[in-house]
Amino acid sequence: MTATTPPTTPPTAPPTTGHDARVGGRDPRRRVRRVGFVVAGLVVVAAIVWFGLGLLRPHPYSGTVMQAPTAAPSMEGLVRSDGTPVDLADYRGDLLLVYFGYTSCPDVCPTTLAQVAAARRQLGDDAEDVRLLLVSIDPARDELDRLGDYVRSFDPTFEGATGEPEAVERVASQYGVFFAEGEAIEGGGYTMDHTSTLMGIDGDGHLRIVWPALLDVDRLVADLRELS
Amino acid sequence: MVVVALAAIAFAVFQPIQVLPRLRLAPGYALVDQTGATVTSEDARGAITLYTFVPLGCDDACDAVESTMRQVRSRVESGVDLGGTPFRVVTIVLDPDPDLADVDRARAAIDADWPWLSGSDGQIENVVGLGFRRSTDVDVFAPSYALVDGLGMIRGEYRYLTLTGDADKLVRHIDVLGGELRNDGGFASFAYEAAHAFQCYP
Repeated sequence: MTATTPPTTPPTAPPTTGHDARVGGRDPRRRVRRVGFVVAGLVVVAAIVWFGLGLLRPHPYSGTVMQAPTAAPSMEGLVRSDGTPVDLADYRGDLLLVYFGYTSCPDVCPTTLAQVAAARRQLGDDAEDVRLLLVSIDPARDELDRLGDYVRSFDPTFEGATGEPEAVERVASQYGVFFAEGEAIEGGGYTMDHTSTLMGIDGDGHLRIVWPALLDVDRLVADLRELS
Repeated sequence: MVVVALAAIAFAVFQPIQVLPRLRLAPGYALVDQTGATVTSEDARGAITLYTFVPLGCDDACDAVESTMRQVRSRVESGVDLGGTPFRVVTIVLDPDPDLADVDRARAAIDADWPWLSGSDGQIENVVGLGFRRSTDVDVFAPSYALVDGLGMIRGEYRYLTLTGDADKLVRHIDVLGGELRNDGGFASFAYEAAHAFQCYP
């Protein structure tokens, strides 16, 4: 009897795919997945950083902002065109824009008022909290009725105010505004030389921002949105 | 976000950029100088102006103030880069309606392009008392200075109890203001606004 040797099975060839490949880290699907994770992570981190920077990046105001603003100077002695005294407490909660000008002003005053009116129109519903007070530096000619009609011709919400020359001079000076009678106009009358900055008093009654003359309406709108 | 927060804290703590605070608006005015010409706050627009406030009856004390002003102007003009912004010195006289043509010191300042301004009692009260918040009492002289930028903002107030003004401090602060002026615009201006936001004051 001859013993038979069971047939030997040839050694199995090592698999070229599967478990061993995964151990070796050479699985392309796995690699793609890893790269995907890294890229996704970077995108998320970048988005967070960008979003964070966006929150922290200061708004580029077109005016000059005061970081620690003080209470806006009182307007005691001035009277609104409806005959009531100007009390800044009446504007608490609103953003009050203050401009010193006069109704016979040929150029910069009507331009500024028109720009603020345009900005309010662009603001839409948000304009409700944005108000404007024109302080007349020409009380001799700007009677209250005339002043009221003038400002409302730009925007029905605009208000005008003026007072005795001493009161107007005192208030204007505290707002950094100089004014003086200027050149005589042919045919009668005169112009007024004056500082033509626009100022913003926030809802807490603090003088927060000063804009130079000749505003860019789009930038003013952006500033007003940021402030109100 | 953590990185951003850490960067913000580091900026506030280490203050890589310093600025002078925007305190409030300098008062508007139209006063008369020692030549009789009207000088207004608009004439100062676009320039850095160092103001001082003096009564006429204070010869020795005012000499010290004038010496400080001269020293500051000389050092600023010779060694501080204000990015092309002019620098002015102005003296406001506390006495109402004086005849400055009779005041030697005021006359001497004409050649130095140094306005000495005066006005009525009411004007001085408005400008010096309410605006610059300084005493207008001509009998009690307290040397003081105010630094105003080209936009009409008060950027520094200095009240000294001694009669020796601190020219070093004034020049240092004007130099800080110069840094802001030199970097006005572009990305650098964001950094300077951040310095304002974090109140990085010297």
